[in-house]
Amino acid sequence: MITLGSLEQQFLSHVRGGATFPRECCAQGLVDSDIGLSIYANAYGSRLAEALENDHPILSKYLGDTLWAEFCKGYIESHPSQVRSLRHFGAHGAAWLTQHKPFSKHPLLAELASFERELLDVFDAADAERIDWTVMQSLDASAWPGLRLGFHPSLRLLATATNAVDVWRALKDERSPPTATSSSTPARLLWRDLEHISRFRPVEADELIALRSMFFGQEDFATLCERLASDHAAESVPMMAIGFLRRWFDEGIVCSVSSETGSGD
Amino acid sequence: MPDRAVPARVSTPEAKASGVRPFYGYGLGLRTEHFDAVLNEKPAIDWFEIISENFMVAGGKPRHYLEAIRARYPLAMHGVSLSIGSTDPFDYQYLAELKQLARDIEPIWISDHLCWTGNGGINSHDLLPLPYTEEAIAHVASRIGEVQEFLGREILIENVSTYVSFANAEMEEPAFLAEIARRSGCRILLDVNNIYVSSRNHGFDADAYVGALPAEKIWQIHLAGHSDYGDYVIDTHDHPVRDEVWALYARSLERIGAVTTMIERDDHIPPLAELVLELDHARRIGSRFEQANLAACA
Repeated sequence: MITLGSLEQQFLSHVRGGATFPRECCAQGLVDSDIGLSIYANAYGSRLAEALENDHPILSKYLGDTLWAEFCKGYIESHPSQVRSLRHFGAHGAAWLTQHKPFSKHPLLAELASFERELLDVFDAADAERIDWTVMQSLDASAWPGLRLGFHPSLRLLATATNAVDVWRALKDERSPPTATSSSTPARLLWRDLEHISRFRPVEADELIALRSMFFGQEDFATLCERLASDHAAESVPMMAIGFLRRWFDEGIVCSVSSETGSGD
Repeated sequence: MPDRAVPARVSTPEAKASGVRPFYGYGLGLRTEHFDAVLNEKPAIDWFEIISENFMVAGGKPRHYLEAIRARYPLAMHGVSLSIGSTDPFDYQYLAELKQLARDIEPIWISDHLCWTGNGGINSHDLLPLPYTEEAIAHVASRIGEVQEFLGREILIENVSTYVSFANAEMEEPAFLAEIARRSGCRILLDVNNIYVSSRNHGFDADAYVGALPAEKIWQIHLAGHSDYGDYVIDTHDHPVRDEVWALYARSLERIGAVTTMIERDDHIPPLAELVLELDHARRIGSRFEQANLAACA
């Protein structure tokens, strides 16, 4: 007699489009077992495709029905869900698009997928109290070189080589998307504001250096200034760096400051 | 969250201690589309049921609204990922997050489904059918025991709609469910729509199904709509509750008395006010049987 574990393995294989579940293992009710099994198999594919569509509404619109269906079919086959929540099922979508033709010939597609994925992560990232610029005004001058910032958990930095975000914006606004081209800025910054609204904006080259230093690298203010000084006159660097910090505070993405010579949040 | 809504109608402490089921009235599934309406319209609903996994996130809007709504309404936690019948090991990270959510929102209870959702580490994200065998009873009852031990509370287990049954079945579904409830100590979340759907697909008597269950173990009822394709019926939650399910609900309450009840709608979700009206129908049916409950709780 078939064990519970074996029954589950064989049943799941059938549902996923693999080996057929043995008909003799099914009881015949009013509904033929072939129809019953097909209900589960159809639900499997449509549920996963629906999850991808929920997470990537703009990518699906951009691809159109045929290519979107091809993406869903290919992704579902190569990435059986190993996650508990459908929220994470499409996490490898961007990587898949870079590896499979014809999608891989259009790098904009993977960037569009990455952007929509980042928006999802921004949406339900952890909450944290934000601090405003008045904290900095009370900071002792000696604390500045060792100053480090703690950023809001929703903050994301997405490198952009194409105009995927412009395409996203146009389709979101129900306008015709621009022709695919290279990005006018090297990155986009994404975060969730105090009202739980997801925000994003372009990041220029100097600010990208600053974010990589203080956000990704968790480096201090002195190190940031050294990095900026490689491209700019030394006397202009402190004001440029302070300008970036001020903007980040005003945008509500800074949650803590600390310094080797003192800290406060 | 210092100030929180408490259930409008609860059993007395003595009744609770005696194991008599509490009665929390009539609820709806809390859906994203209704977050603002719930807070702005303050509908006359006794409680809401959440899909636990939708709120097992770090923060943002889902948790913000959850806290605000919990301040005004009691909540029940209904999960879809426990996979209680799977032969895979438990995902203890999931259970830990479930327990943390329960600490955060203090639900009236936690429920999930009598099914399995995955095997071999692969998740179907569907509620798949179990064979009604002694092997499965022992497996599921033991797993429910583990979950209850981990969570520190009894859970409710719901019958699912099924489209396939297995040749190795040693009993009917209600006997399977009743025995699991008896061995594990869990309570039953009776989905009346699922009974109707499965009865149409498998040809069993829906009333006999309800009659074969231990009435005192049935702590909650689900109502929902389905899609009738003539030869078979699918549990789609995208329609209002159909007349035949309302009728089965009324006949079920005649057998078991008034039970905490809610309506699920997961697709083609109408304005909240429409669902409140639909819930009033459940309230009218249930009110005919509430006196007996109040007498039991007094």
